Amino acid sequence: MAPAPFSPFELLLLKSRNQTDTAALLMLAWVMASKGSVLPEDRHYLDTLAARFRHGHALQPLIEIAAAQDLTALQLAAEVLQKDLWREQAHPFLSQAIGLATSDGPPSSANNHVLRFLADLLGVSPPTFAALFKEVAGRALPAPADPSHADYWQAREQTRHRHDSYSGQGAHAGAERETPEPDEATPRQARESWRERRARRREQARERERQAREAAERRAREQRRREQEQAREQREREERRERERQERERREREEEYARAHRERPAYGDPASRALRVLGLEDGASRQDIKKAYRRLAQAHHPDRVFSQGEQRMATASLRFQRIQQAYEILMQDARFV
Amino acid sequence: MRDLYKRLGVPADADSRAIDAAIEACRHTALKHDAEAVLGVDARRDHYDRLHRRLSDIGRLRSRLGLTHAPHWQGDVANDFSLPPDIADSRHQQLTAKVDALVNAQTTLTRWRYRLMWLIPLLVVVTAGVAFALGWLSGL
Repeated sequence: MAPAPFSPFELLLLKSRNQTDTAALLMLAWVMASKGSVLPEDRHYLDTLAARFRHGHALQPLIEIAAAQDLTALQLAAEVLQKDLWREQAHPFLSQAIGLATSDGPPSSANNHVLRFLADLLGVSPPTFAALFKEVAGRALPAPADPSHADYWQAREQTRHRHDSYSGQGAHAGAERETPEPDEATPRQARESWRERRARRREQARERERQAREAAERRAREQRRREQEQAREQREREERRERERQERERREREEEYARAHRERPAYGDPASRALRVLGLEDGASRQDIKKAYRRLAQAHHPDRVFSQGEQRMATASLRFQRIQQAYEILMQDARFV
Repeated sequence: MRDLYKRLGVPADADSRAIDAAIEACRHTALKHDAEAVLGVDARRDHYDRLHRRLSDIGRLRSRLGLTHAPHWQGDVANDFSLPPDIADSRHQQLTAKVDALVNAQTTLTRWRYRLMWLIPLLVVVTAGVAFALGWLSGL
């Protein structure tokens, strides 16, 4: 059985590194194709967006597919988008679509319907979408025009007539009449003000971005300072602990030394000195000695302090040797047999 | 926007004579007035047709995606350009099925290639054996 061939868009989607981005780009290209008159800025805007996306293929095939109104491809892209972007996740994409559709004035009637379709597709409710549109375009979402009414055409003729008599450029307006865009009829002033408003909004957005960046830098500096502070405190705490430990060891050594000096009076009798080392009194039995030796040997074995550094191991080893020697002396003594 | 062609009962690609006849026959005064104003003038009809095509496309997309009763699709547009819902026809499922078919074909091909790798030497040996036996028999 021969598998059905893939359409160009299916191939693009399969090769794409990010299917959502590919689908979103196709939808944006569709919005651009529905504009009637495409400005060079729009193409540039789409290029910029495409550069930021992670799809990893050329943009031109998508624009061609969208311009050809390939319904199958559009449906596939819509399904992919619907799967991956839903409600709040779709807001950035919808903002891009609105920005593209309103880059030179109010959206064309076709784009009005396309934008509404995208909002429905991605589960964005009319109030949310209207707010989003107002935020991006700075103007409320207009109701779609209705060219199936005679009134629409009358109003349009009147506007154009007024516009012609106002600007005195009948020939130019006559040429404009051939263009497909219904919104060409809007007075130039309105479009100018729309453009100015967009420019102002862009300026404000840039200002906001700058402030956000500065705030982020401030936060980062603060964070770095706090981290340094914490590191310093940590270091101090460790130093204090180290000092305390050394102090304790010093005291232990001194005690040991003092004990050794205290035991000096019993110097004459190695056996009784050995008994003191094991912590026993004179007259202890051989059993007592063995028990005491085992206890002390376990308590003072150098392996117990293996992890606490060489110095501690050395002192422990000294103590252990002394205990061992004492035990050996006692074991060889005839009195304790 | 209303679908004037649908309301007049003519195909969207009808020529101007058929449309004039349909307008003449129309009994609805308001519709007749609007159809005359819009479809009677070529420039207006061009403009109307462009939007009409676009809306037909969107209507078809909406019907395939199950969006014919969505909040942004209301009024005359929704009435005139909605098609019966057609959710079964998911392009994504079709694409997945195509990829599946391709993968299956590839798997079958690989399996047969393995089998052939063993079968061909076997066939050669058997053929040689038969030829040898025949030669021996004829030699008797």
